[in-house]
Amino acid sequence: MMKLQFDWRSRLSRFRVWALSFRGGITLLCLVGLLLVPLTGREYLARIVITAMILTIFAASWDLLAGFAGQVSFGHAAFFGISGYVTAAFVKFVGAPWFLAIFIGTGWAVVFSLLIGIPCLRLKGPYLALGTLAFALILYNLFLTGTWLGGTEGISALPNIGSVFVEFYIMAAFMVASLIIMRAIVDSRLGTILKAIRDDEVGADAAGINTTVYKLVAFMVSGLFAGISGGLFVLDITAVNPAVYQPLYSFYAIIMASIGGIATIYGSIVGSFLFTLLSEFLRPLAAASLLIFATLLILIIRFSEEGVMNPFLEHVRDLWDKIRGR
Amino acid sequence: MSILLEEILIFGTIQGALLALLALGFSLVYGVGGLLNLAHGAFFLITAYIVYWTIHLLTSIPGLSYYPLVFGIAAVVGLSSVVTIGAVTYLGLMKPLQKSHIGVVLVTFAMAFFFEQFVKFVGDPKTHYIVPVVPGTVTLLGITFPAQLLALVFGSVILVTLVTLFISKSTIGKSIRAVSQDPEAAELVGINTDMVMMTSVMISALLVGFAAVLYAPGNYIAPRIGWGYLLLAFSVTIFGGMGSIPGSILGAYVMGYATTLTDYLISPSFSQIVPLIVILVMLLVRPQGLLGKKRLQ
Repeated sequence: MMKLQFDWRSRLSRFRVWALSFRGGITLLCLVGLLLVPLTGREYLARIVITAMILTIFAASWDLLAGFAGQVSFGHAAFFGISGYVTAAFVKFVGAPWFLAIFIGTGWAVVFSLLIGIPCLRLKGPYLALGTLAFALILYNLFLTGTWLGGTEGISALPNIGSVFVEFYIMAAFMVASLIIMRAIVDSRLGTILKAIRDDEVGADAAGINTTVYKLVAFMVSGLFAGISGGLFVLDITAVNPAVYQPLYSFYAIIMASIGGIATIYGSIVGSFLFTLLSEFLRPLAAASLLIFATLLILIIRFSEEGVMNPFLEHVRDLWDKIRGR
Repeated sequence: MSILLEEILIFGTIQGALLALLALGFSLVYGVGGLLNLAHGAFFLITAYIVYWTIHLLTSIPGLSYYPLVFGIAAVVGLSSVVTIGAVTYLGLMKPLQKSHIGVVLVTFAMAFFFEQFVKFVGDPKTHYIVPVVPGTVTLLGITFPAQLLALVFGSVILVTLVTLFISKSTIGKSIRAVSQDPEAAELVGINTDMVMMTSVMISALLVGFAAVLYAPGNYIAPRIGWGYLLLAFSVTIFGGMGSIPGSILGAYVMGYATTLTDYLISPSFSQIVPLIVILVMLLVRPQGLLGKKRLQ
């Protein structure tokens, strides 16, 4: 009992040091800001932020596979879609509670990540990207032409999880937990091994790392989180159709992760919030909105090669140090 | 049965001719600079729309009523714009991001998205129809098909031959091959690699522009069509071998006959998925493609 208490206290002091540091402070500030969103009582804003949070998990899962393990996938929508479909099917046809359905859907996504990962192991670079793209497209066409699970129409009219604000906190909890776990994974020994494989696969092999197993592990972990986001996405919009397998969704993940900054995990938050909020706030401009959006996208990709998060934080930090007179 | 065989022969050749035009440039750009150009389909889209708009503009002038002339002017305008767009895309977007391969992929994807929205914004999201410049139909081996498609086959064969000759015989073609084999060594012997890559992007844009000029008339055009053509170019390139020019020509015709065959034997809705499965099997069994040797020849 004593020991536990002691441990708790040291944790608390470490937390205080972290919270007073620059990055910790910013993170806490953003988290509090996020949790305050439902208190404004604006349902529309909450809906947009929910979408952004779900896409954050999706983008971060791509970042884990591509940014850390170096396995660039163009078919991430496959994991996203399969989990979404299974979740929707279990909620609709079996009547399972949503919480259980998400776990079953995620399990299927992990199985599929193995199914896609094992044959794609021998592919590298653009070939791997295209192989995964082909997998996602096959799934898209199978669900489009097939008659199972609702065919072209998909499954719709799923029950709501709860009111928008309840849903908001559930999604926020999922997002924060997923991001912390992913960050912990990439900071752990496993993350170091993945980075070694990314930087020099032959070298990693020579150093006694079983690259095959670790690449598969990276695929599974990434598939797991993509699956969680797919299930949440379907529960949020209460419908699913074959369009979730479109390459467009895979590219959304890639774009959001790289706007924020590849190989950062947290960059996905910045990327997907920027992406979702920007496309939503430009909507009043009607026809011109997507054109402006596309132009901004080109400019961001062109002029910020390491994403917008890290350079921005550096600037803010310099400013902060200047204000405090250091 | 014999009619079926002839149909497959003719429509497969037409499909193959289109695919060759689409895939050759895509493969060339990948082979020379390792650039995966996702805006390739958007080049088709923008050419088709520029041709459509120019025809629209010119026919409102009272003196011009001779359609082939109008179409010719429109085609020249469309082709020169798409080649310019290709050069500007390379200089402004691809070259600065060349070091990170994912950067090129992202920026060309954003480009493709931009063109789709541009077409929607300047024109409208509806589908349009370009009147074919070669009127009437042709009957060959008992099969009747639009004469425009014959023009497509001839145009494709001529262009593909010209580009192949250009790459194997001319000085610029030789430097293109040199850069694709070893960019650093090519730079050491005094080849301007940026210039060579820009030329190959321009050739690629020209080829896909010709595909649009020859294939879009008689077909419907809409802002979203670019993605479909990109996917076709993609699949043929993988099938034939990335960066291999004979590979992509061979791959285009094999794929053309294969999709036509599945169209007739199974069902048109299934034929969309067959190329994908072929690609997947190809990637797993022979990732470098039919004739791919990581070398452009």
